[in-house]
Amino acid sequence: MTVATQQGGGGGSSGLYDVLELILDRGLVIDAFVRVSLVGIEILKIDIRIVVASVDTYLRFAEACNRLDLEAGPRKPAGLPELTGQLTESGARGKTKGALAGAAETISDAFQQARDEGRERQGDRAARRRGE
Amino acid sequence: MSTYVYGITRASSSPLRQDMDGIGDPPRPVRVLRQGELAAIVSDAPDQLRPKRRDLLAHQRVLDEAGAGGVVLPMRFGSASPDDDTVTTVLAERADLFLERLRALDGTAEYNVKANHDEEAVLRLIMTDHDDIRSLAETNREAGGGTHEQKIRLGEMIAAAVQAREATDADLLQQALRPMADAVSAGPQSTGWLANLSFLVDRGSAEQFLASVDALRQEHPHLELRVNGPLPPYSFVDAASSQQAEGGTAEAFGAAAAEPNG
Repeated sequence: MTVATQQGGGGGSSGLYDVLELILDRGLVIDAFVRVSLVGIEILKIDIRIVVASVDTYLRFAEACNRLDLEAGPRKPAGLPELTGQLTESGARGKTKGALAGAAETISDAFQQARDEGRERQGDRAARRRGE
Repeated sequence: MSTYVYGITRASSSPLRQDMDGIGDPPRPVRVLRQGELAAIVSDAPDQLRPKRRDLLAHQRVLDEAGAGGVVLPMRFGSASPDDDTVTTVLAERADLFLERLRALDGTAEYNVKANHDEEAVLRLIMTDHDDIRSLAETNREAGGGTHEQKIRLGEMIAAAVQAREATDADLLQQALRPMADAVSAGPQSTGWLANLSFLVDRGSAEQFLASVDALRQEHPHLELRVNGPLPPYSFVDAASSQQAEGGTAEAFGAAAAEPNG
Protein backbone atom coordinates (compact mmCIF):
# COMPACT_ATOMS: atom_id res chain seq x y z
CA MET A 1 0.00 0.00 0.00
CA THR A 2 1.22 3.47 -0.77
CA VAL A 3 1.80 5.95 1.97
CA ALA A 4 -1.46 7.78 2.53
CA THR A 5 0.05 10.19 4.97
CA GLN A 6 -1.46 13.62 4.89
CA GLN A 7 0.76 16.52 5.60
CA GLY A 8 -0.99 18.97 7.84
CA GLY A 9 1.60 21.58 7.10
CA GLY A 10 1.91 23.80 4.12
CA GLY A 11 -0.81 26.15 5.18
CA GLY A 12 -3.48 24.80 2.89
CA SER A 13 -6.75 23.46 4.09
CA SER A 14 -5.40 19.96 3.66
CA GLY A 15 -5.88 18.18 6.89
CA LEU A 16 -7.76 21.01 8.55
CA TYR A 17 -10.80 18.85 8.99
CA ASP A 18 -8.70 16.23 10.73
CA VAL A 19 -6.97 18.61 13.12
CA LEU A 20 -9.77 21.03 13.96
CA GLU A 21 -10.20 19.64 17.43
CA LEU A 22 -6.51 20.23 18.11
CA ILE A 23 -6.68 23.87 17.00
CA LEU A 24 -9.83 24.48 19.02
CA ASP A 25 -9.27 22.25 21.99
CA ARG A 26 -5.52 22.01 22.51
CA GLY A 27 -2.78 24.60 22.53
CA LEU A 28 -1.57 26.99 25.16
CA VAL A 29 -4.12 28.86 27.25
CA ILE A 30 -2.95 31.89 29.18
CA ASP A 31 -5.27 33.32 31.78
CA ALA A 32 -4.19 36.90 31.14
CA PHE A 33 -5.62 36.58 27.64
CA VAL A 34 -9.27 36.29 26.78
CA ARG A 35 -10.59 33.60 24.55
CA VAL A 36 -13.07 35.63 22.64
CA SER A 37 -16.32 34.88 20.91
CA LEU A 38 -16.11 31.16 21.27
CA VAL A 39 -19.19 30.98 23.40
CA GLY A 40 -21.11 27.95 22.33
CA ILE A 41 -18.26 25.68 21.42
CA GLU A 42 -18.21 24.12 24.84
CA ILE A 43 -21.91 23.41 24.50
CA LEU A 44 -21.07 21.25 21.51
CA LYS A 45 -20.06 18.60 23.97
CA ILE A 46 -22.53 15.86 23.32
CA ASP A 47 -22.36 12.19 23.85
CA ILE A 48 -23.00 10.75 20.45
CA ARG A 49 -21.81 7.39 21.61
CA ILE A 50 -25.37 6.74 22.61
CA VAL A 51 -26.07 6.35 18.92
CA VAL A 52 -23.98 3.18 18.89
CA ALA A 53 -26.21 1.45 21.38
CA SER A 54 -29.43 1.99 19.51
CA VAL A 55 -31.89 -0.26 17.78
CA ASP A 56 -31.07 1.47 14.51
CA THR A 57 -27.45 0.50 14.84
CA TYR A 58 -28.29 -3.06 15.76
CA LEU A 59 -30.52 -3.45 12.76
CA ARG A 60 -27.92 -1.91 10.52
CA PHE A 61 -25.27 -4.32 11.76
CA ALA A 62 -27.62 -7.25 11.32
CA GLU A 63 -28.37 -6.18 7.75
CA ALA A 64 -24.71 -5.63 6.97
CA CYS A 65 -23.89 -9.00 8.41
CA ASN A 66 -26.64 -10.58 6.36
CA ARG A 67 -25.22 -9.16 3.20
CA LEU A 68 -21.70 -10.15 4.10
CA ASP A 69 -20.69 -13.05 1.96
CA LEU A 70 -17.94 -14.75 3.88
CA GLU A 71 -16.93 -16.82 0.89
CA ALA A 72 -16.53 -13.88 -1.46
CA GLY A 73 -13.61 -11.52 -1.62
CA PRO A 74 -13.60 -8.08 -0.06
CA ARG A 75 -16.53 -6.35 -1.67
CA LYS A 76 -18.49 -3.47 -0.24
CA PRO A 77 -22.12 -4.19 0.52
CA ALA A 78 -23.93 -1.60 -1.56
CA GLY A 79 -25.34 1.29 0.34
CA LEU A 80 -23.81 0.52 3.69
CA PRO A 81 -21.40 3.45 3.97
CA GLU A 82 -24.15 5.89 3.00
CA LEU A 83 -26.39 4.48 5.66
CA THR A 84 -23.67 4.89 8.26
CA GLY A 85 -23.29 8.52 7.35
CA GLN A 86 -26.96 9.28 7.50
CA LEU A 87 -27.51 7.64 10.84
CA THR A 88 -24.63 9.34 12.53
CA GLU A 89 -25.43 12.64 10.97
CA SER A 90 -29.02 12.68 12.03
CA GLY A 91 -28.02 11.53 15.49
CA ALA A 92 -25.57 14.36 15.92
CA ARG A 93 -27.70 17.03 14.30
CA GLY A 94 -30.69 16.05 16.37
CA LYS A 95 -28.76 16.60 19.54
CA THR A 96 -27.03 19.82 18.65
CA LYS A 97 -30.04 21.58 17.19
CA GLY A 98 -31.91 23.67 19.67
CA ALA A 99 -29.18 23.72 22.25
CA LEU A 100 -27.01 25.94 20.16
CA ALA A 101 -27.09 29.12 18.23
CA GLY A 102 -24.69 30.85 15.89
CA ALA A 103 -21.40 29.50 17.09
CA ALA A 104 -22.39 25.94 16.44
CA GLU A 105 -23.55 26.77 12.95
CA THR A 106 -20.29 28.53 12.24
CA ILE A 107 -18.37 25.52 13.43
CA SER A 108 -20.44 23.13 11.42
CA ASP A 109 -19.98 25.34 8.37
CA ALA A 110 -16.27 25.17 8.92
CA PHE A 111 -16.48 21.42 9.16
CA GLN A 112 -18.63 21.16 6.10
CA GLN A 113 -16.26 23.21 4.03
CA ALA A 114 -13.21 21.46 5.32
CA ARG A 115 -14.92 18.17 4.71
CA ASP A 116 -15.81 19.09 1.15
CA GLU A 117 -12.24 20.01 0.44
CA GLY A 118 -11.03 16.95 2.22
CA ARG A 119 -13.20 14.84 0.00
CA GLU A 120 -11.92 16.39 -3.17
CA ARG A 121 -8.42 15.87 -1.98
CA GLN A 122 -9.02 12.34 -0.83
CA GLY A 123 -10.76 11.28 -3.98
CA ASP A 124 -9.51 7.73 -3.78
CA ARG A 125 -10.57 7.29 -0.26
CA ALA A 126 -14.00 8.76 -0.89
CA ALA A 127 -14.47 6.57 -3.91
CA ARG A 128 -13.54 3.54 -1.93
CA ARG A 129 -15.96 4.47 0.82
CA ARG A 130 -18.73 4.84 -1.66
CA GLY A 131 -18.01 1.32 -2.69
CA GLU A 132 -16.78 2.00 -6.18
CA MET B 1 -7.82 47.29 19.61
CA SER B 2 -7.05 43.95 21.13
CA THR B 3 -4.15 41.76 20.08
CA TYR B 4 -4.60 38.25 18.73
CA VAL B 5 -1.85 35.85 19.82
CA TYR B 6 -0.85 32.90 17.62
CA GLY B 7 2.08 31.53 19.52
CA ILE B 8 5.22 32.12 21.50
CA THR B 9 8.70 31.50 20.21
CA ARG B 10 12.29 32.46 20.90
CA ALA B 11 13.34 35.97 19.99
CA SER B 12 16.27 34.35 18.20
CA SER B 13 14.03 32.32 15.85
CA SER B 14 14.28 33.05 12.17
CA PRO B 15 12.34 36.18 11.32
CA LEU B 16 8.88 35.68 9.86
CA ARG B 17 8.21 36.25 6.21
CA GLN B 18 7.16 39.83 5.57
CA ASP B 19 3.49 40.56 4.86
CA MET B 20 2.22 37.31 6.32
CA ASP B 21 -1.56 37.26 6.51
CA GLY B 22 -3.23 36.58 9.83
CA ILE B 23 -6.84 36.13 10.78
CA GLY B 24 -9.69 38.44 9.84
CA ASP B 25 -11.25 39.76 6.68
CA PRO B 26 -9.35 41.58 5.36
CA PRO B 27 -6.48 39.57 6.87
CA ARG B 28 -4.60 41.42 9.61
CA PRO B 29 -0.83 41.53 9.07
CA VAL B 30 1.19 39.30 11.36
CA ARG B 31 3.84 40.95 13.50
CA VAL B 32 6.22 40.00 16.28
CA LEU B 33 6.43 41.39 19.82
CA ARG B 34 9.81 40.82 21.44
CA GLN B 35 10.53 40.71 25.13
CA GLY B 36 13.91 39.49 26.36
CA GLU B 37 14.61 36.02 24.97
CA LEU B 38 11.01 35.53 23.90
CA ALA B 39 8.78 36.70 21.09
CA ALA B 40 5.03 36.53 20.58
CA ILE B 41 3.58 36.12 17.11
CA VAL B 42 0.54 38.38 16.98
CA SER B 43 -1.75 40.46 14.83
CA ASP B 44 -4.52 42.89 15.55
CA ALA B 45 -7.68 41.03 16.52
CA PRO B 46 -10.74 41.51 14.34
CA ASP B 47 -13.71 43.02 16.14
CA GLN B 48 -15.77 39.91 15.78
CA LEU B 49 -13.62 36.86 16.21
CA ARG B 50 -15.45 33.65 15.55
CA PRO B 51 -14.27 30.16 14.73
CA LYS B 52 -14.66 30.51 11.01
CA ARG B 53 -12.84 28.17 8.71
CA ARG B 54 -10.82 31.01 7.19
CA ASP B 55 -9.57 32.09 10.59
CA LEU B 56 -8.87 28.57 11.80
CA LEU B 57 -6.81 28.05 8.68
CA ALA B 58 -4.99 31.35 9.16
CA HIS B 59 -4.16 30.45 12.75
CA GLN B 60 -2.80 27.09 11.66
CA ARG B 61 -0.90 28.55 8.69
CA VAL B 62 0.82 31.25 10.73
CA LEU B 63 1.94 28.69 13.30
CA ASP B 64 3.08 26.38 10.59
CA GLU B 65 5.24 29.01 8.91
CA ALA B 66 6.59 30.26 12.20
CA GLY B 67 7.41 26.70 13.21
CA ALA B 68 9.65 26.35 10.20
CA GLY B 69 11.93 28.99 11.69
CA GLY B 70 12.19 27.47 15.15
CA VAL B 71 10.14 25.85 17.88
CA VAL B 72 6.83 27.58 18.64
CA LEU B 73 4.36 27.18 21.48
CA PRO B 74 0.99 27.31 19.71
CA MET B 75 -1.83 29.15 21.45
CA ARG B 76 -5.28 27.65 21.43
CA PHE B 77 -7.41 29.25 18.74
CA GLY B 78 -9.12 32.45 19.83
CA SER B 79 -6.66 33.84 22.38
CA ALA B 80 -6.64 37.62 22.46
CA SER B 81 -4.86 40.04 24.72
CA PRO B 82 -6.32 43.44 25.60
CA ASP B 83 -3.26 45.09 24.04
CA ASP B 84 0.38 44.61 23.03
CA ASP B 85 1.69 45.64 26.44
CA THR B 86 -0.20 42.87 28.17
CA VAL B 87 1.45 40.37 25.84
CA THR B 88 4.97 41.56 26.57
CA THR B 89 4.18 41.70 30.29
CA VAL B 90 3.07 38.05 30.18
CA LEU B 91 6.25 37.13 28.28
CA ALA B 92 8.36 38.85 30.92
CA GLU B 93 6.54 37.46 33.93
CA ARG B 94 6.44 33.86 32.71
CA ALA B 95 9.69 33.75 30.79
CA ASP B 96 11.06 30.79 32.72
CA LEU B 97 8.00 28.67 32.06
CA PHE B 98 7.89 29.47 28.34
CA LEU B 99 11.63 28.94 27.90
CA GLU B 100 11.37 25.59 29.64
CA ARG B 101 8.56 24.48 27.30
CA LEU B 102 10.47 25.73 24.26
CA ARG B 103 13.50 23.73 25.34
CA ALA B 104 11.38 20.65 25.94
CA LEU B 105 9.76 20.87 22.51
CA ASP B 106 12.83 21.86 20.54
CA GLY B 107 13.23 19.77 17.41
CA THR B 108 9.92 18.00 17.77
CA ALA B 109 6.58 18.02 15.99
CA GLU B 110 3.15 16.67 16.72
CA TYR B 111 1.76 13.87 14.60
CA ASN B 112 -1.91 13.16 15.03
CA VAL B 113 -3.18 9.69 14.21
CA LYS B 114 -6.85 8.91 13.84
CA ALA B 115 -8.08 5.40 13.32
CA ASN B 116 -11.34 4.01 12.03
CA HIS B 117 -12.49 0.52 11.30
CA ASP B 118 -13.14 -0.52 7.76
CA GLU B 119 -16.60 -1.77 8.59
CA GLU B 120 -16.78 -4.69 6.23
CA ALA B 121 -13.31 -5.86 7.20
CA VAL B 122 -14.06 -5.67 10.90
CA LEU B 123 -17.38 -7.49 10.46
CA ARG B 124 -15.50 -10.26 8.71
CA LEU B 125 -13.04 -10.47 11.58
CA ILE B 126 -15.87 -10.61 14.09
CA MET B 127 -17.70 -13.31 12.19
CA THR B 128 -14.51 -15.30 12.05
CA ASP B 129 -13.71 -14.86 15.73
CA HIS B 130 -17.15 -15.33 17.25
CA ASP B 131 -18.82 -18.68 16.64
CA ASP B 132 -22.03 -17.59 18.34
CA ILE B 133 -22.42 -14.54 16.14
CA ARG B 134 -21.64 -16.49 13.00
CA SER B 135 -24.15 -19.22 13.73
CA LEU B 136 -26.88 -16.74 14.66
CA ALA B 137 -26.18 -14.85 11.45
CA GLU B 138 -26.48 -18.06 9.46
CA THR B 139 -29.71 -18.97 11.19
CA ASN B 140 -31.12 -15.55 10.43
CA ARG B 141 -30.05 -15.68 6.84
CA GLU B 142 -31.62 -19.05 6.30
CA ALA B 143 -34.83 -17.63 7.73
CA GLY B 144 -34.74 -14.83 5.18
CA GLY B 145 -33.16 -12.35 7.58
CA GLY B 146 -34.94 -13.44 10.72
CA THR B 147 -37.53 -11.72 12.83
CA HIS B 148 -37.14 -8.19 14.11
CA GLU B 149 -36.12 -9.55 17.51
CA GLN B 150 -33.56 -11.91 16.01
CA LYS B 151 -32.07 -9.10 13.98
CA ILE B 152 -31.82 -6.89 17.00
CA ARG B 153 -30.23 -9.66 19.04
CA LEU B 154 -27.68 -10.33 16.30
CA GLY B 155 -27.00 -6.62 15.87
CA GLU B 156 -26.55 -6.16 19.58
CA MET B 157 -24.00 -8.95 19.73
CA ILE B 158 -22.14 -7.50 16.76
CA ALA B 159 -22.18 -3.99 18.22
CA ALA B 160 -20.70 -5.30 21.47
CA ALA B 161 -18.02 -7.19 19.57
CA VAL B 162 -17.22 -4.13 17.43
CA GLN B 163 -16.86 -1.96 20.49
CA ALA B 164 -14.60 -4.48 22.17
CA ARG B 165 -12.54 -4.61 19.01
CA GLU B 166 -12.32 -0.81 18.93
CA ALA B 167 -10.84 -0.80 22.41
CA THR B 168 -8.39 -3.56 21.53
CA ASP B 169 -7.31 -1.81 18.37
CA ALA B 170 -6.93 1.57 20.08
CA ASP B 171 -4.66 -0.12 22.56
CA LEU B 172 -2.70 -1.87 19.85
CA LEU B 173 -2.16 1.41 18.06
CA GLN B 174 -0.85 3.13 21.13
CA GLN B 175 1.43 0.23 22.04
CA ALA B 176 2.83 0.04 18.54
CA LEU B 177 3.54 3.74 18.03
CA ARG B 178 4.40 4.84 21.55
CA PRO B 179 8.02 3.63 21.34
CA MET B 180 8.57 5.86 18.30
CA ALA B 181 7.54 9.03 20.13
CA ASP B 182 8.74 11.19 23.00
CA ALA B 183 5.24 11.52 24.36
CA VAL B 184 1.67 10.62 23.54
CA SER B 185 -1.52 12.52 24.22
CA ALA B 186 -5.00 11.13 23.83
CA GLY B 187 -7.30 13.39 21.87
CA PRO B 188 -11.04 13.56 22.38
CA GLN B 189 -12.92 10.28 22.02
CA SER B 190 -15.94 9.94 19.85
CA THR B 191 -17.68 7.58 17.52
CA GLY B 192 -15.96 9.33 14.63
CA TRP B 193 -12.82 7.38 15.24
CA LEU B 194 -11.81 4.55 17.49
CA ALA B 195 -8.55 6.21 18.39
CA ASN B 196 -7.39 9.79 18.27
CA LEU B 197 -3.79 9.99 19.43
CA SER B 198 -1.21 12.71 19.16
CA PHE B 199 2.44 11.78 19.27
CA LEU B 200 5.33 14.09 19.97
CA VAL B 201 7.94 12.98 17.50
CA ASP B 202 11.53 14.05 17.14
CA ARG B 203 11.86 15.57 13.70
CA GLY B 204 14.81 13.29 13.06
CA SER B 205 12.63 10.22 13.70
CA ALA B 206 9.62 11.37 11.71
CA GLU B 207 10.30 9.03 8.82
CA GLN B 208 10.65 6.12 11.17
CA PHE B 209 7.39 7.04 12.82
CA LEU B 210 5.55 7.24 9.50
CA ALA B 211 7.07 3.94 8.45
CA SER B 212 5.68 2.37 11.61
CA VAL B 213 2.22 3.71 10.80
CA ASP B 214 2.53 2.22 7.35
CA ALA B 215 3.59 -1.10 8.76
CA LEU B 216 0.47 -1.07 10.93
CA ARG B 217 -1.66 -0.42 7.87
CA GLN B 218 -0.15 -3.40 6.12
CA GLU B 219 -0.47 -5.66 9.10
CA HIS B 220 -4.03 -4.67 10.04
CA PRO B 221 -5.96 -3.91 6.88
CA HIS B 222 -9.20 -3.51 8.85
CA LEU B 223 -7.74 -0.30 10.34
CA GLU B 224 -8.02 2.96 8.45
CA LEU B 225 -5.29 5.25 9.73
CA ARG B 226 -5.06 8.94 9.01
CA VAL B 227 -1.90 10.78 9.95
CA ASN B 228 -1.54 14.54 10.13
CA GLY B 229 1.80 16.10 10.69
CA PRO B 230 4.15 17.67 11.27
CA LEU B 231 1.91 19.97 13.31
CA PRO B 232 2.70 22.63 15.89
CA PRO B 233 2.80 20.79 19.22
CA TYR B 234 -0.77 21.73 20.21
CA SER B 235 -1.17 18.78 22.53
CA PHE B 236 2.15 19.16 24.29
CA VAL B 237 2.54 22.88 25.07
CA ASP B 238 0.83 22.65 28.37
CA ALA B 239 2.72 20.12 30.40
CA ALA B 240 -0.08 19.69 32.89
CA SER B 241 -3.53 20.76 31.92
CA SER B 242 -4.43 20.12 28.33
CA GLN B 243 -5.14 16.44 28.50
CA GLN B 244 -8.31 15.86 30.42
CA ALA B 245 -9.75 19.23 31.30
CA GLU B 246 -11.70 19.90 28.16
CA GLY B 247 -11.40 16.65 26.37
CA GLY B 248 -15.12 16.48 25.78
CA THR B 249 -15.35 19.70 23.85
CA ALA B 250 -14.52 18.11 20.57
CA GLU B 251 -16.81 15.15 20.82
CA ALA B 252 -19.14 16.81 18.40
CA PHE B 253 -16.30 16.80 15.93
CA GLY B 254 -16.53 13.06 16.04
CA ALA B 255 -20.05 13.38 14.77
CA ALA B 256 -18.77 15.37 11.87
CA ALA B 257 -16.01 12.87 11.28
CA ALA B 258 -18.48 10.04 11.18
CA GLU B 259 -20.23 11.46 8.17
CA PRO B 260 -18.03 10.12 5.42
CA ASN B 261 -20.32 11.39 2.71
CA GLY B 262 -21.56 14.51 4.37
